[in-house]
Amino acid sequence: MLDQPSSVPSAVPESPIDAELAAFITTAGVSISVGSSGAGLLPSITRGIGCRVATDQRRVSVFVVAEQSREVLDDVRDTRRIAAVFSQPCNHRTLQLKGRDAVVEALEAGDRERIERYRGAFSAELGAIGFGPLFTHALIDSGGGEIVAIAFTPCAAFDQTPGPRAGEPLAHAK
Amino acid sequence: MTPRLDAIRECLEGAVPGIMATCAADGTPNVAYLSQTEYVDGQHIALSYQFFNTTRRNILANPEARLIVTHPHTGERFRLRLRYLRTETAGPLFERMKAKLAGIASHTGMSGVFRLLGSDIYRVSAIERIPGAALAPPPPRASLLAALRAVSARIAGCRELDLLFSDTLDGLEAQFDIRHAMVLLLDGAGTRLYTIASRGYEASGVGSEIPLGQGVIGVAAREGTPIRIGYATLEYAYGRAIRAAAEANGLAAALETEIPLPGLADSASQLAVPIRAAGRLLGVLYVESPHNLRFGYDDEDALVALAGQLGATMLSLQQASELQEEVVVPEPPPQPSEGRPVLVRHYAEDDSVFLDDDYLIKGVAGSIFWALVRDHVESGRSTFSNRELRLDPRIRLPDLSDNLEARLILLRRRLNERQACVRLEKAGRGRLLLTAWRPLTLVEVGQGGARPDSACC
Repeated sequence: MLDQPSSVPSAVPESPIDAELAAFITTAGVSISVGSSGAGLLPSITRGIGCRVATDQRRVSVFVVAEQSREVLDDVRDTRRIAAVFSQPCNHRTLQLKGRDAVVEALEAGDRERIERYRGAFSAELGAIGFGPLFTHALIDSGGGEIVAIAFTPCAAFDQTPGPRAGEPLAHAK
Repeated sequence: MTPRLDAIRECLEGAVPGIMATCAADGTPNVAYLSQTEYVDGQHIALSYQFFNTTRRNILANPEARLIVTHPHTGERFRLRLRYLRTETAGPLFERMKAKLAGIASHTGMSGVFRLLGSDIYRVSAIERIPGAALAPPPPRASLLAALRAVSARIAGCRELDLLFSDTLDGLEAQFDIRHAMVLLLDGAGTRLYTIASRGYEASGVGSEIPLGQGVIGVAAREGTPIRIGYATLEYAYGRAIRAAAEANGLAAALETEIPLPGLADSASQLAVPIRAAGRLLGVLYVESPHNLRFGYDDEDALVALAGQLGATMLSLQQASELQEEVVVPEPPPQPSEGRPVLVRHYAEDDSVFLDDDYLIKGVAGSIFWALVRDHVESGRSTFSNRELRLDPRIRLPDLSDNLEARLILLRRRLNERQACVRLEKAGRGRLLLTAWRPLTLVEVGQGGARPDSACC
């Protein structure tokens, strides 16, 4: 983004995602999945229903429905580990972010609108490959229940687009 | 309530990709989208291993995994707790997944990218329905159990092998709305399958052959497992596979393609089910459709049950025909045969038979035909019994269990379809009547004899 602060403290490592990737995960209508793991090395997983990226791309917040994500939320509170995957259904472009400092937070002002916009973009994406809006809405339905954000600092990003190169780390953003 | 795995197996069909979480030995989680999930049984599923990626590394170090699958119609989601057990790199499950993956790859533009290295088998220890909205499922197309019952009743009423095949195919159309189907039987030598009956194709293709292991049908036969794909894929397309084999094997194989295998040009969904009885493979029941994802797990179950009954009935009809008493009928007065003689050529090396320049049949059916016309020309006989054919040393039945009756059906249909001047009809229980409207000139061609040009194209 053009309006980023020009001087960044040198002690803070650069974010592995750039503005283009930030736009990809927030506005492209990608499918979002979130994983964590507990102290006993049991993995947990849930679906995301939208996300927010800080303007400097250092902090990513993924929204999840609390009732559908009990294990993930418990694990994040316990171990602070997170893996979040963003995948575009029409072309399988997929990005995985990892974090070690995840926290569960309440939604901020503007997040409800972000979730609403995500719903529209995701419906359009799935519509293009033949799924009706009712189906898509069922996939990301919150049932009116509590929605929370899992916020983390991405410490690594991987290209997860299907193929032999899946899993390779992305080159750091310029 | 915890749903059973078999009750949610539609979710494994992959319309919405499964998402899986694993974690490394240091606890770092990883999430992956799965291109293929396969129902194995009530406690196990298999996932495709295509690349040595993070998921693979993780499950080898820590077998615990969590998977979310989505119902393709209702949007309901289920979270499964999994534990990795082992990887299979050959055998029925592997081949089933490999064929299906080829279809998925072709459908998603990933041909050449997706390649099955192994089937990773997981035990499912818990299934949780994720709270959330669900759409009403679409009304079922038809009751598969009612359809199965109706066709089963028809099969149980069959007293003759050719009616068994035609009634089964009629039943598939009337009760299952399956409009394109064929039955293929295993050649006694066990290396190829030949088409004995078909429905829904421009040409019946009766007599066409498929080597074991080729395409959906050949792999189903070789592995003894149903193969079901939901999208067209070149990798398992017949024209290509069989042409390639013919090119590799030269002239002998050229005859194999002389009768084209029936098949839909725009086939999308395909299901091949082995027909087994008494512990051995008898053939394959094959159905297809121009629509994607036409056949589901339940269709597969229904056709497996049907194929079981078809096999058992085939076997019992064959045994009954071998045991039945011969009814001796008097030799009919000789029929006048007129006009230009037809040249009947028999090639000893593969028992292929040509009527003038037209290819008729080869193999066991060819040797049966040759024995019949020789006796007809040399001793004026027109009626023959199944029993004498079974014992005739000139007819090299591959083994005693070979289905002579099926060869006769094949031969009869080929003669009828070619509108040949020689026909074979049933003449009472266990007997055949040969009729020739034109005089026959027989020529036996030894090893390496030249074939009519039309057969070598």
